[in-house]
Amino acid sequence: MTEHLDTRDDVPLETSIPEAGAPLDSILRTEELQRRPSRPPAHEKENEALVRLTSALADSPNTIFQTLAEIIHDITQCDSAGLSLLTKDGKTPHVDGRRFYWPAIYGMWNPHVGGGTPRNFGPCGDVLDQNRTLLFTHFERRYPYLMPVSPAAEECLLVPFYVHGRAVGTIWAIMHSDRRKFDAEDERIMASLGKFASSAYQAWMRIEDLKVQVAEREKAEAEVRQLASGLEAKMRRLVEANVVGIVMFNLDGAVISANEAFLHMVQYSREDLASGRVRWRDLTPPEWRDRDERAIADLKTTGVFRPFEKEYHRKDGSRVPVLLGGALFEGGGNDGVAFVLDLSEQKRAERALRRSEAILAEGQRLGQMGSFCWRVATDEITWSEQLYCIYELEIGAPVTLSLVRTRVHPEDMTLYEKMLEQARGGGDDFEWQYRLLMPDRSIKYLHAVARAIRGQDGQLEYIAAVQDVTERHLSEEAFNKARSELAHVARVMSLGTLTASMAHELNQPLSGIVTNASTCLRMLATDPPNVDGARETARRTIRDGNRASDVVTRLRTLYSKKKDFSPESIDLNDAVREVLALSLSDLQRHRVALRHELGEDLPPITGDRVQLQQVVLNLLRNGSDAMNKIDDRPRELLIRTERYEEDHVRLSVKDAGVGFEPQAADKLFEAFYTTKPDGMGIGLSVSRSIIEAHRGRLWATANDGPGATFSFVIPCRPEGLADGETGIDPMDKAPEAA
Amino acid sequence: MERFQERGAAGRPLLSVVDDDESVRESLPDLLREFGFAARAFSSAEEFLSSDCVDGTRCLILDIAMPGMSGLDLHQELKRRSQKIPIVFVTALRDEAIRARVLQQGAAGFLLKPFSDIDLLAAVKTALRAD
Repeated sequence: MTEHLDTRDDVPLETSIPEAGAPLDSILRTEELQRRPSRPPAHEKENEALVRLTSALADSPNTIFQTLAEIIHDITQCDSAGLSLLTKDGKTPHVDGRRFYWPAIYGMWNPHVGGGTPRNFGPCGDVLDQNRTLLFTHFERRYPYLMPVSPAAEECLLVPFYVHGRAVGTIWAIMHSDRRKFDAEDERIMASLGKFASSAYQAWMRIEDLKVQVAEREKAEAEVRQLASGLEAKMRRLVEANVVGIVMFNLDGAVISANEAFLHMVQYSREDLASGRVRWRDLTPPEWRDRDERAIADLKTTGVFRPFEKEYHRKDGSRVPVLLGGALFEGGGNDGVAFVLDLSEQKRAERALRRSEAILAEGQRLGQMGSFCWRVATDEITWSEQLYCIYELEIGAPVTLSLVRTRVHPEDMTLYEKMLEQARGGGDDFEWQYRLLMPDRSIKYLHAVARAIRGQDGQLEYIAAVQDVTERHLSEEAFNKARSELAHVARVMSLGTLTASMAHELNQPLSGIVTNASTCLRMLATDPPNVDGARETARRTIRDGNRASDVVTRLRTLYSKKKDFSPESIDLNDAVREVLALSLSDLQRHRVALRHELGEDLPPITGDRVQLQQVVLNLLRNGSDAMNKIDDRPRELLIRTERYEEDHVRLSVKDAGVGFEPQAADKLFEAFYTTKPDGMGIGLSVSRSIIEAHRGRLWATANDGPGATFSFVIPCRPEGLADGETGIDPMDKAPEAA
Repeated sequence: MERFQERGAAGRPLLSVVDDDESVRESLPDLLREFGFAARAFSSAEEFLSSDCVDGTRCLILDIAMPGMSGLDLHQELKRRSQKIPIVFVTALRDEAIRARVLQQGAAGFLLKPFSDIDLLAAVKTALRAD
């Protein structure tokens, strides 16, 4: 096939026609047609042909070109006959042609049907250019492109034809031998057939157009079918998976079909559904009908209704909460599809959550206990309702540390800031008590316990419970006050009792002495003096004097009652820890922040455990008391133990209290010296006695900053302790020391 | 004082001392006799009540704190018996509350041991005048 030899259609004419190609004039014989003897016109045959063509055009327009080629062949008695159509791509005739395409050939060239040439590579181009019938002889001499097309054309008669005045192709007849020559009659009849070709062409074009349209439609339909079958499969998968309920419904209230999931939700059977008993209007409880109507209104205006929550009645009358969304099918009408999601679990969980929240809130309210969550990195703080109530702030107001600070009692602010600082750095659980100063100047006492946790992002968070302990605190305070008053009264009373008994014991003999002496003087003053009586009364005076002396001795014995000193091996840190455990709540009550630094390499010491603990307790109490009136700085107490030199231990208690005047440093340890209104001035004195009994020293130094430090140093193995000569009885002195 | 002494032993007013302390019972009657009174001593309230001196006693010098009946109990008992003997309480216990109480209940005097002879005489004289 020629076309297959060269499919290029953009080759310039100059290059396609060899230099040696014959000039056009040399291959044209058109003028000869009129000179050749012409056969008579075969009108009958021509008419027959035209009738055949016309009926073919009506009956089988698809093959009209083939019929035309046959008729050309028949009428002209040529060897090959056919058509060349100008097209763009050699096939379809729609666009301006750059190629000639051979849709039908009859006769010897029939094998070349479907072939063709570029427009200017063959004689057809010349016919269109000159716009007239041309007779060629051996055109392959000018157009080598056609050289391989065999057999060669001895003569070729070409007639152009037009549609709406535009040349669209040629019809042609070829003689491959000189068996006969084309003549004027051939020219005339070809011209006639050329006109018919134009009609045939237009008919064919319409058919081709139709074919294209049909093909395009078929293709589109095929695509739609494919898409639809894919979608349908997916939809079916969704419906049959039964993860959500799917319902086909109409606006009249019917459920047309539904999947198992939906039927299970409302507990109807497939038979119920088939019988038409399942109607969504009937499934809907009365109070939800308005909501349904809104959805239907949406459906009618927009074709869809957005998901909303409602309830359905189950077959047994119970209710199931659902989430529902859907759409009408396209094309108007009443029918639509909806998905239905069973919300029972969610609702149950929500109810449980609400209930537990309510219980928690009620519990918090009853216990006057609030809670908060504090994300340290971002300072995000979330409060429970009750905590807002405790702080007397509007529930839901954004909580910031600065907002909290507006409530914290000014005297507790340093303690509060310090607590925050520790919490930020630490990550340990903590617990603290602080006060709020409310706008009405009332004071609230809060007790908070915070637990450190790591949030989902690994950030430090504190979850804390905060309890309003004001009432407890006030009653505790009242109780403590009563207790300390009672203790004070008891101490005073015991002293008073002691004094009274001392006085009574002494006053009896003194009374006798005074009376006897008076009597004696009076007896001597009489005239004559009653010397015997006077002697007797003087003797009694001496006797009563001795009695008084006995009383004093007895009292001294009572006071200096010796007790066995019981030395043992002591871990001072252990002993200190026991005292701390005992005194912690007392210190907290006085808002004292206690720190301890207990040395790790303390050697064991030998001494009286109870007595030394008495000293530690005295020193802690002393330090705490010294800070009682301190409100402008933290009440910090530091107790520290450490090894001192090689074979001593040292314990110190440092306070931030009122301190002492330098000249008072020695007086501190004197018995009955005190700066406290309720103090007896015994504690430090007793303490010093105990330490000295342990062959140690107890002294006080003023701090660089506020407050004082009391320290003692005792040897680990004091000499001569076992002789019981300490003379100290902490049990007697303890009440005063406390 | 001279006036009482001049009356002679038989005319002397009888003063009774009730005290559990022996030295007081020894010394005080002697001093009272030096003042010119007749004096008797008893070691308890019960002993005094059971003696024959209750009616004759012009003034009672009474200790407060005693085993058995106290001085206050005796005071009440005498009132109950309508025995209006003026009483001077003596005690070694310094207790203002008791002092106020006994004075309010009609005691003639209240002396804290040890007391001087002058205070004693003044208290006794006051008591006798009240009688």
